Amino acid sequence: MKKKTKLTPYLYVIPGLVMVLGFVYIPIIVNLVYSFFRLSSYSTSMKFVGLDNFRRLFTNDTFPIMMRNNIYYCVISLIVQVGFGTFLAFLLESKLLGNRFKSICRNIYFIPALVSLTAVGLMFNFIYNPQLGLLNTFLKHVGLANLQQTWLGDKNLAIFCIIAMSQWQFTGYITLLMVVAFQNVSTDYIEAAIIDGAGPVRRALNIVLPLAKEQLLVCSIITVIGAFKLFTEVYSTTVGGPGNSSQVLGLFLYQNAFLHDDMGMAAATGVLIFIITVTASIFQLKISHSGEV
Amino acid sequence: MKKNLKRTLSLGLAAMMALGVTACGGSSTDSAATTAEAAATEAAKEEAKESAAPAAEASGDVKVIKLFHRFPDDPCNSFIESKIAEYEAAHPDIKFEVTSAQNQPYKEKIKVVVGSDECPDIFFSFCGEFSERFIREGLLLDLTPYLEADKEWKDSLMETQMTEYTTADGMVYGIPFRLDAKEFFYNVDMFNELGLEVPETWDQFIEVLDKIQAAGITPIAEGNQDKWPACHYIGALNEQLVADDVRAKDYNAKTGEFTDPGYVEALEKYQQLVSYMNMGVNGMTHDMARLGFTQGQNAILFAELVEITNLKQENPDLNWGMFKFPVIEGAKGNPDLVSGAPEGFAVSSKTKYPDECVEFLKWFLGSEVGAQQAEQVGWFNASKGVDEGLTDPSLISAYEVIANAKKMDIWFDNALYSTVCDEYLTQISDVTNGDISPADAMAKIQKVAKEAQSLVQ
Amino acid sequence: MTDNYTMKHMVLKVVLHVFLLFLVAVILFPVCWLVLNSLKTNQEMFLNSLALPKQWMFVNYATAWGKGLLAYFKNSIIVSAISISCILLLSSMLAYGLTRFNLPGGGFIFFLILGGMALSEQVALVPLYKILQAVKLYNTRAALVLPYVAFRIPFTMFLMRSYFISIPKELEEAAIVDGCNSLQRFVKIILPISKPVLASCAIVNLNHVWNEFLFANVFLENKKLMTIPLGLMTFQGDLKSDYVVMLAGILISSLPMVLLFLCMSKQFVRGLTAGAVKG
Repeated sequence: MKKKTKLTPYLYVIPGLVMVLGFVYIPIIVNLVYSFFRLSSYSTSMKFVGLDNFRRLFTNDTFPIMMRNNIYYCVISLIVQVGFGTFLAFLLESKLLGNRFKSICRNIYFIPALVSLTAVGLMFNFIYNPQLGLLNTFLKHVGLANLQQTWLGDKNLAIFCIIAMSQWQFTGYITLLMVVAFQNVSTDYIEAAIIDGAGPVRRALNIVLPLAKEQLLVCSIITVIGAFKLFTEVYSTTVGGPGNSSQVLGLFLYQNAFLHDDMGMAAATGVLIFIITVTASIFQLKISHSGEV
Repeated sequence: MKKNLKRTLSLGLAAMMALGVTACGGSSTDSAATTAEAAATEAAKEEAKESAAPAAEASGDVKVIKLFHRFPDDPCNSFIESKIAEYEAAHPDIKFEVTSAQNQPYKEKIKVVVGSDECPDIFFSFCGEFSERFIREGLLLDLTPYLEADKEWKDSLMETQMTEYTTADGMVYGIPFRLDAKEFFYNVDMFNELGLEVPETWDQFIEVLDKIQAAGITPIAEGNQDKWPACHYIGALNEQLVADDVRAKDYNAKTGEFTDPGYVEALEKYQQLVSYMNMGVNGMTHDMARLGFTQGQNAILFAELVEITNLKQENPDLNWGMFKFPVIEGAKGNPDLVSGAPEGFAVSSKTKYPDECVEFLKWFLGSEVGAQQAEQVGWFNASKGVDEGLTDPSLISAYEVIANAKKMDIWFDNALYSTVCDEYLTQISDVTNGDISPADAMAKIQKVAKEAQSLVQ
Repeated sequence: MTDNYTMKHMVLKVVLHVFLLFLVAVILFPVCWLVLNSLKTNQEMFLNSLALPKQWMFVNYATAWGKGLLAYFKNSIIVSAISISCILLLSSMLAYGLTRFNLPGGGFIFFLILGGMALSEQVALVPLYKILQAVKLYNTRAALVLPYVAFRIPFTMFLMRSYFISIPKELEEAAIVDGCNSLQRFVKIILPISKPVLASCAIVNLNHVWNEFLFANVFLENKKLMTIPLGLMTFQGDLKSDYVVMLAGILISSLPMVLLFLCMSKQFVRGLTAGAVKG
């Protein structure tokens, strides 16, 4: 190894690095620049407006709604996907279950994650439909017609309907990732714990979970980032409606860029998403005390 | 397909192959890897070029005209395709490249391409603000000289429709492909059973709605999940409740204020109608709600003339009629207006073949093709006399609505500046759910309209 | 073991089974309902979506297929194949470079690339679109492949790196004695041994690329290049949607990934197990 020129190893690294710099970092820097300008998708003129795009973003009536919706999505996803998903992974590792049963369940839970977001969005449009949807029809048939709702058409329910759809889709994904992490925990630790007389619950909490911490961290970072780049789920169902009640940052960015000819505003929204996701990731790394991965 | 599959596979393996082969050679350290990468990307480009632009092969004397429309559903899509094939056969020097998208994606896409070198030569464009923003950037071809040069062509087009595709300065920027207006459709059998007359005034309308509701039927079918359907009620109500000149001032982004009390009243009248609509207006799309009308669950539907085709498809046996938006007596606005607008094609100012494009539109949007279109698709273009061969009574009555219109009033959502429109639609959606009062809703719209004044300049 | 304990054991077992089966129902019930409705007419679906169809409309599937699904499939396969190959290649090279040589600045490069994981696609959307237009790649397959590859490298590199670290150095040392250079070691030793992690990275990325909507929606205009998620959206008309055909389309388009996963789930889990961060 010492004989080799020092440059050779870099040749392995450079192509990938160039791709990431060229198509991830440069656009993000350009985006920062755009956020200080007024520009549209079809016009060639760019006008410097300073922080005006940010002012308009933060004073927009929809801004608090979007933030609230993204945060709801984030918190609920952390609780259901990461929290409940991990719990489910524990259950699936239980010795009370047959191996076959375990793997069938695990696979079925994972299936929704394999269906494309637009397909799931279109599907749930039907499920939530007030006239013919599965939910309302089901409620009617079991004699609970008074619980019928307009679901996606209701200001207070729309965003939760979308969030519920995502939980349906991605909980199994996290579960599978966590199952895998648990299987990596060496059986020595567990056997030692059994000898010490630890019950299954204590074993899970005190031994297995800490050892699968890294995976849990990755899962929660993915979930948080996913929550703030939420787009397709809303685009393929309510498109932000009714009113603005299910508007989210990602869709707002998209609509400004390609519907309202306001790319500067879109870029400003992008900067906000960027700040939120990066801060959240660093924060999570910090609280997990494992910055070195 | 076989060939494609093979190519795909080989592409997929390209990277690994290149790597594997050279690795055995030994000495060349890393160039192999990068070559493989380059090969794969190159292949990707090649592949894309090949299917994206058959233009490349037609480099000779063939003129390639790109056309982009928003009618990807049959029967219209296949009608357009067949007509274009016909035109190509008659003009061997011209070749078309047609793409299409659904309405919503279309609106987004066209803005993206119209300013770029990818801009289609001929494309669908709504009249009103939708097109005028492009005109402000000089992106649309001025068709006025062509119309002036060919008086016969100019005279063959319906004037009430052409004015919609003319700017305030007199520039014509589009030729209509289909004419459209919004009318109330009603279930004739249901009306007869309940002994109802077709209402002419607003008060009669409400009376009729009350009677239908009393008979245990949900009177109006409506779905507003996509936010645009309900705004057509507002457009029609504004026409009647707000004076023409005030509306003209407000619909112009540079001067829009929306302070007239008529706007609030329009929202109130709409709110009154919502109580007669099916459950979950905001949770259903318009076409889904239409099924309620065609399947006999609702008595009335506010729909476009172009939907007649769909009505017949969904229930051929339905006995339906049409009536005009009821007149609100004593209001300041103009009860003669017909809500609706022609939808047509514009030509890019960047096209290399302006003459060829106009020549094609003359034929494609002319009376001969128009008559076939009326018969096969059930849609009319703006050429006079396209209705002559019609036998279907429902289409004849639809044509009369437009032919008898003294003046059209373009779709509300096409008239407004995009941010104002978005806010208006949002507020209408909230009013539909009863989440906001009409007065508060207008206050929010006023705020956005004011901001738009500075944005548009 | 006392009887009491066995009883508790049994109850627990039953409860656990019931609960997990209930979740299975939550996943599958909506799917069955969709399948049922995809076999009706629009009118039947509208009037009662829980009833059985009068006549089983298998023709809906044919209609959906005829709406260009084949072309969308082809496009998705091409884009996915190229993207995945590039992602795997570049990421494994990166991971190799970063784990096998004590590169000066390697830590910084690792951090830089890993940072890409936290950056979302939306943020890059507007500039990427402008850049792609400027370099004439807008509306080509490359406009999808390049960003897909770039955005997936960080996560993939991360997974591979932890796997590569776990490969004993001794394996390579023997090869060095035989006179193999670094590329030969990479190709002949590291890659073959990494098959499990390569496989699971491929599936994770395939799922992402296959289903990606945002970039595809913005960077493509040509109908002939559209991928499946985009193509499905064209089923949703403005004044007229053919719902039952749309459902059939959704089901057809979802099937390949599901089948692929069910066939390969064992390898997938094994690959992930080997590649996951060790506790």
